[in-house]
Amino acid sequence: MSEAVLERSGLSADEPGRWLDDGYERLMAMSWRDCLDVQLRIMQRRFDELVPQVAALEKLARREGITAIASFEDALPLFFDHRVYKSYPLSLIETRDFPRLTSWLNRLTTHDLTQMDLAGLTMIDDWIDRLDAFGMFIGHSTGTTGKLSFIPRSQTELHAFRNCHNEASRASSGVNPWNDPIETFFPGYRYGHQMAIKMVSTFNIPAAGGEAHYHTLYPGRISADLMSLAGRMQAAEDRGELERLGLDPALLKAREELIAQGQRREQDIEAFFNTLFEDFRGQRVKIGGTFGDLIRTARSGIEKGIKPEFAPGSFIGTGGGMKGFKDPPADWESYVKDFFGIETVSMVYGMSEGCGFAPRCSHGYFHTMPHTVPFLFDRDMKLLPREGVQTGRYAFFDLQAETYWGGFISGDQVTIHWEEDCDCGWKGPRVGPTITRFAEMEGGDDKISCAGTAQAYNDFMDFVSQVQ
Amino acid sequence: MTDTYRIPIISRGRIIQPGEDAVEFKGRGGATFIAPDPHKHVQDLVLGNPVLLSDLQQTPMRDIIDFLAEAGKRLRLEDNPYLQESFALALRAGGLAEPILRGVYDDLPHMFDPVAMFAQIDSTVGVDYLDGWVPSPTGPHCRVRAVGTRQLHITAGNVPVVAALTIVRGALTKSDILIKSPSNDPLTANAIMRTLLEIDASHPVCKHVAVAYWKGGDEFMDQQIVRTSRIDKITAWGGMSSVKHIQKFLSPGIDLTALNPKFSMSVIGKEALESEAAMEEAAMGIAVIAGFYNQTACANTRLVYVESDTDDASLDKLAELGRKVVSAYGQLPPVMSTPFEAPNKDLEAELEAVALEDDFYTVEGDTLTGGVVVSRFPDRVDFYDQLNNRVVNLVPVADLLEVVKWCDDTTQTVGVYPESLRDRLLDPFALAGVQRLVPLQGGDPMHIFRDMHTLPPGMPHDGIEPLRRNVRWVIDHRPLDTAAALDIAAE
Repeated sequence: MSEAVLERSGLSADEPGRWLDDGYERLMAMSWRDCLDVQLRIMQRRFDELVPQVAALEKLARREGITAIASFEDALPLFFDHRVYKSYPLSLIETRDFPRLTSWLNRLTTHDLTQMDLAGLTMIDDWIDRLDAFGMFIGHSTGTTGKLSFIPRSQTELHAFRNCHNEASRASSGVNPWNDPIETFFPGYRYGHQMAIKMVSTFNIPAAGGEAHYHTLYPGRISADLMSLAGRMQAAEDRGELERLGLDPALLKAREELIAQGQRREQDIEAFFNTLFEDFRGQRVKIGGTFGDLIRTARSGIEKGIKPEFAPGSFIGTGGGMKGFKDPPADWESYVKDFFGIETVSMVYGMSEGCGFAPRCSHGYFHTMPHTVPFLFDRDMKLLPREGVQTGRYAFFDLQAETYWGGFISGDQVTIHWEEDCDCGWKGPRVGPTITRFAEMEGGDDKISCAGTAQAYNDFMDFVSQVQ
Repeated sequence: MTDTYRIPIISRGRIIQPGEDAVEFKGRGGATFIAPDPHKHVQDLVLGNPVLLSDLQQTPMRDIIDFLAEAGKRLRLEDNPYLQESFALALRAGGLAEPILRGVYDDLPHMFDPVAMFAQIDSTVGVDYLDGWVPSPTGPHCRVRAVGTRQLHITAGNVPVVAALTIVRGALTKSDILIKSPSNDPLTANAIMRTLLEIDASHPVCKHVAVAYWKGGDEFMDQQIVRTSRIDKITAWGGMSSVKHIQKFLSPGIDLTALNPKFSMSVIGKEALESEAAMEEAAMGIAVIAGFYNQTACANTRLVYVESDTDDASLDKLAELGRKVVSAYGQLPPVMSTPFEAPNKDLEAELEAVALEDDFYTVEGDTLTGGVVVSRFPDRVDFYDQLNNRVVNLVPVADLLEVVKWCDDTTQTVGVYPESLRDRLLDPFALAGVQRLVPLQGGDPMHIFRDMHTLPPGMPHDGIEPLRRNVRWVIDHRPLDTAAALDIAAE
């Protein structure tokens, strides 16, 4: 049976990381229901190959009593959530205990990291450099919860990752990153191991046509050490004990610079965009940034009477939601387009934990491609039917992950349209148009408790923030 | 059971039932509440003229206590329909299991014990100071009186005793109190007050209590109520965000007492790991202090620091202590603690994630029966602020004095085992922010529970003396010769 189905999709079960080698068009013309068998076959193979090699997966499978996968449903209890990628004790970061941190990471990958030389390491960034030199491609999270996740990607997945990034960008912007260099502006860090920055610099510098055509707000790299220790450093400073943490003086200096840089950010970003508006007037450009960056730049530009002008074929590449940005214009996209004088806003939906990206179509939906197998769960973590229109917590299996486990449950709440009836013409389950964070709490509570737990604190936040 | 509860406003001796202008709001467990629109009853809630407190001021303390004591006799769940209704609703809100909640309600009459109430107010403020002007022993031309104030209480609802405590403290300080009920317990304060009104709605105590529910964060209400012309003191249970929100309306002249959310812990000496019997005793102590009221209270232990090395043999003993704690949960009487009916999904996910890390953590139990995460190195779990459902984290530390680095003003209660530890830790812990050290010894759950909850009346609360703080201390400063004349007259 599977052979016949394989013929139907025409996709090889051996190399899902190469499915995009001939471009996204073929995959977007494929019905996801025709891909189910090849997807399941790959998932089974991943399970069989990874369980003996990835200790965390092996332990989870043993605990769940899962020895084989006969259906997608069988694999769902094995999907990792974000906690697995940050289940190390924070004190390992504080004490920079690289042997134990490495042995923790080693439980998540098929690469034998015990063979790696750890001599002389004092910084997290250097540790990741060392891992990358050993064959990994580690990305960490932004640490908004105070603790960094580390995604155990490796060079093995890099081909697929690049394919996904470039093809999703091409699909959503119409500009070909493989052979059509475009002057690129990104109002953030140039380098760093934070997954989004690392991805952007790795793939966009070549797409821009080289370093000289890639312009960033900050020339340096975002520091994993500072991000991972920000909370503890602040607490120590409050107690007047910052020096007692025994941190590298360079790190303390870097922190001071970061604080100063943060205070200057608004002016810096304005100067950055003004240079772009003046020096690249009339040229074809790609402009990145968060929704907030773009809206703020447009607002202050309009106030000052600035009117940018760029050549046709320019586009804005953005994503990530409002992230607490208050008071955006009702139709912020048109507002930003009008100000920048750029017609195309390219967006993709994806996350650090997966290689795949779903490009946004002309009708505002994010279409997933067959290398990503999407699922939705309800509040009780029951699988929602893969039909019609469903809203729930987004999870996926990334078939392209060969050296780590590709099953992941996100914290996003999304709507998926399973019927392939988008007027844009692309097929595939489509997500959107809006993506929100999945909230465990039912609305409407304002109970107060004297217990100082996060739960109680959150209850209290609800209590004070809800107005009738 | 009805799905709709009517919640009247209690306004200084009157009951205002929800009428045509009533508003509806959603409570826990799918219940609907109907209450009079608080926006239209602000004048019924506040006391604009503080001189109107004179009736309560002129009521002797003895009379106030007699009145409260009479009410206490009637606060029995078995024959008080108001309490029955508030009990049913609290049960439905799901914070506490039935046997525990019943135990809490059964304790209500004790809070109105006349001897204890007298001792409480006399040892903190002094009854003489509330009933009259007291000359200074070293300068009798100056006399001092403790005068009642107008107070807003934003109460916590996780344990219904807060409602009773607030009403008793208000009356004992001869103050005018406005209670903003919490949505997880919108009826207990109401039920107690309706019981008082039935005895004598014209009693000055009844004339100075208002109870209402409005949605937290309702700016209109806060703006109307939190004014120096209407409120002197605010007691906010719940903490940082409560304070931040209220701060928008604070001005000099309004005194805020913030009863922050607290985070409690226990410290266990190495003796606990030295014999089977000591391990059993310590495990029961931990189970009681972590498990009572199903770990919903501020005094419940969530972190347990144990004096232990981190070699494999020591950690195995620590894990053994952990298993004994989980097993001790099963021996707690239902009136104190019960297994949970539903798992805590977030915490369960944290436990599952760390359970994959044998090198760092050992996990016993779960969020249904209660559980333990044993750290295999000297640091707490990173999700320590999510510990609930009778789940505690056992952390080995070489020297228990190191624990002060994890203490601050949120560290309310610290359980201690064995008692021989206490003197060494007491002063450093007190300086670090700890507010109370309690014993864990004995091995019998009810005995341990009583031991840690038996305090003389009028003890400080969260490091402060709320009764003393909630009165105004007024000086009657007379000419020196008047005092001399008074002295001569007295002789």
